[in-house]
Amino acid sequence: MLNRFKNAVIGAVGGFETNGLALNQDLHQRSSLSPKFPYARPHFLELDWEQMQISADHRLRPIIHPSQSLAFNTGYAECINAGKSKWNEDQAVLQQGVLTKLELVENSPPVKYDIPYSYYGIFDGHAGVGAALCAANQLHHILHEKLVDAQDDIWQDFIGKTVSKPRDLLIIGALESGFREMDQLIAEDRNKYQSAGGCTALVALFILGKLYVANAGDSRAVICSTNKIIPMSMDFTPENERDRIRQLAEEQPALLGKEFTFREYICQPKSVDLGKPIMYRDAHMKGWAYKTLQTEDLKMPVITGQGKRSRVMGTIGVTRGFGDHDLLAVHQKTPIKPFLSPHPEVQVHKLIDVTEKDVLVMGTDGLWDVVSCSKAAEVIGKQFDLFSQKERYVSAATCLVGSARGILVNDHSWQLKNEKPASVDDISVFVIPLFPYRDAYLEFKSKYTDVDL
Amino acid sequence: MSYAYLFKYIIIGDTGVGKSCLLLQFTDKRFQPVHDLTIGVEFGARMITIDGKQIKLQIWDTAGQEAFRSITRSYYRGAAGALLVYDITRRETFNHLTTWLEDARQHSNSNMVIMLIGNKSDLESRREVKKEEGEAFAREHGLVFMETSAKTAANVEEAFINTAKEIYEKIQEGVFDINNEANGIKIGPQHSPTNPSLPGAGGQGSSQGGSCC
Repeated sequence: MLNRFKNAVIGAVGGFETNGLALNQDLHQRSSLSPKFPYARPHFLELDWEQMQISADHRLRPIIHPSQSLAFNTGYAECINAGKSKWNEDQAVLQQGVLTKLELVENSPPVKYDIPYSYYGIFDGHAGVGAALCAANQLHHILHEKLVDAQDDIWQDFIGKTVSKPRDLLIIGALESGFREMDQLIAEDRNKYQSAGGCTALVALFILGKLYVANAGDSRAVICSTNKIIPMSMDFTPENERDRIRQLAEEQPALLGKEFTFREYICQPKSVDLGKPIMYRDAHMKGWAYKTLQTEDLKMPVITGQGKRSRVMGTIGVTRGFGDHDLLAVHQKTPIKPFLSPHPEVQVHKLIDVTEKDVLVMGTDGLWDVVSCSKAAEVIGKQFDLFSQKERYVSAATCLVGSARGILVNDHSWQLKNEKPASVDDISVFVIPLFPYRDAYLEFKSKYTDVDL
Repeated sequence: MSYAYLFKYIIIGDTGVGKSCLLLQFTDKRFQPVHDLTIGVEFGARMITIDGKQIKLQIWDTAGQEAFRSITRSYYRGAAGALLVYDITRRETFNHLTTWLEDARQHSNSNMVIMLIGNKSDLESRREVKKEEGEAFAREHGLVFMETSAKTAANVEEAFINTAKEIYEKIQEGVFDINNEANGIKIGPQHSPTNPSLPGAGGQGSSQGGSCC
């Protein structure tokens, strides 16, 4: 039992990519299908074919950044993994949109508005590049439709009219329903296209003077400034979602198959200890209690491991995101998707009070696994002294990726400056200055205060 | 477009000596007077012909800023040629050559061909480093030397092409192991540029060939 447990964990860490794919029941049939979207790097990098090949060099791991300035000099940089997958499975998106309306009403002034918004997305793929590419190509369209559905209510709330729900709830709702729809779309495409794998999703939406950060997965968004760090997301890992998953398992035990249990034990139960007392807790218990160890207790807990190595069913290390519809537990072949969720947690931040040095950092776990938030703030702070407005955010993103990637030592290990292991994962980072969004909002507001209100 | 070999170059040297301008002049035949800071690394490519063979030069243009040194250092590996650039109108950029050279020698493969470039030769009136000094430094350290002007394009072609010629000769002499990509040399795909292993690579090869970036 213990050996099997060990193997499952090792399998999950080392061979997840191949296992995840190989476990598809009808892989044979689906392998002939084409991918929905061709492999690409973020559109704003404007890489040609040649540069895309260079960007995938696992030995040099070049840090790629946009060659043209992005909106508000937003910084972005990325680099590929050290060889765990052929392509960079992270994707990033930056889109500007407008919710627009011009309605001519007879005998009354026309209803007219243009609400600009900015959308940033980071998607960290696993078991292939498909799901992240789908999210990078489609989620902003889905979200736009959701926002259009609610735009009149959003506008009414903004101009101070009474509405049934405040706009925060409408925008959060657009994000939540958009995430769910994205996941459904990937599910519907299952038999039409090559297996997509799965991906995490982290989205930042700037609209009407507020920042909305929606997160489903273990990428992370943080507001950094000279003297403060405001987390804008929490990591959805098996360890952090232990309660949700165990409670779901307790309510629907059929989802666990025959080999998993929702119970948590103080230590791994062993068959030699059958009949002896063991400390345990059920899914809804906060505290611990004793029970007599029985055969059914020898099942594998649905959540195992700790921290970065925690896994659902010994297989997957992230509990929210898109895709993974065909993912099965490595050894037990139990479907895992019922325990995963596309539902994002959304946090809201008012932009009116931000200062000139406030930035939003969005990064995949490739960054945060080895760079702490305070270290990130320190790296970003240095750029303000060294570089002008135009360069500082892209150099911050580049240096953040650089400080997570480290350097290759003795041709085989990527190390940080302090000789600790560096990240061998794909790394993607946005560094978004918040002050220009505040200014743009104030300008927008004054325009509408003069004209319409 | 197919090529017989691909050579990887790296351009190094202090900030503001004209590394990116040399690259732009070589790949695009134009001069950019405003100094746009290079962040980390940027890329360029161009096809040249040596001995009747098509050779693709893939050029990694690195930031000269100290802030990026730990990042750019890692790009020395796997380069077949390096252009070490200083500015003839700023002596300190010449004084720093030893540090750059040590860095390059320490982090690159031992066969890397290094070309020393004294750039901004058009600014004769502001010259601080004599041509003879550049020549002497090159002789002392076993480098090839040339003065260039990214502005007037003087010697820019020659700088890149002569470096390529030297690499090519080394290949002919068997000094480079061309089957080891870590040497910065790759034997070209003789046929179509589209890579069949690229997931869904339909119609993506169009941007390849000739000069890009």
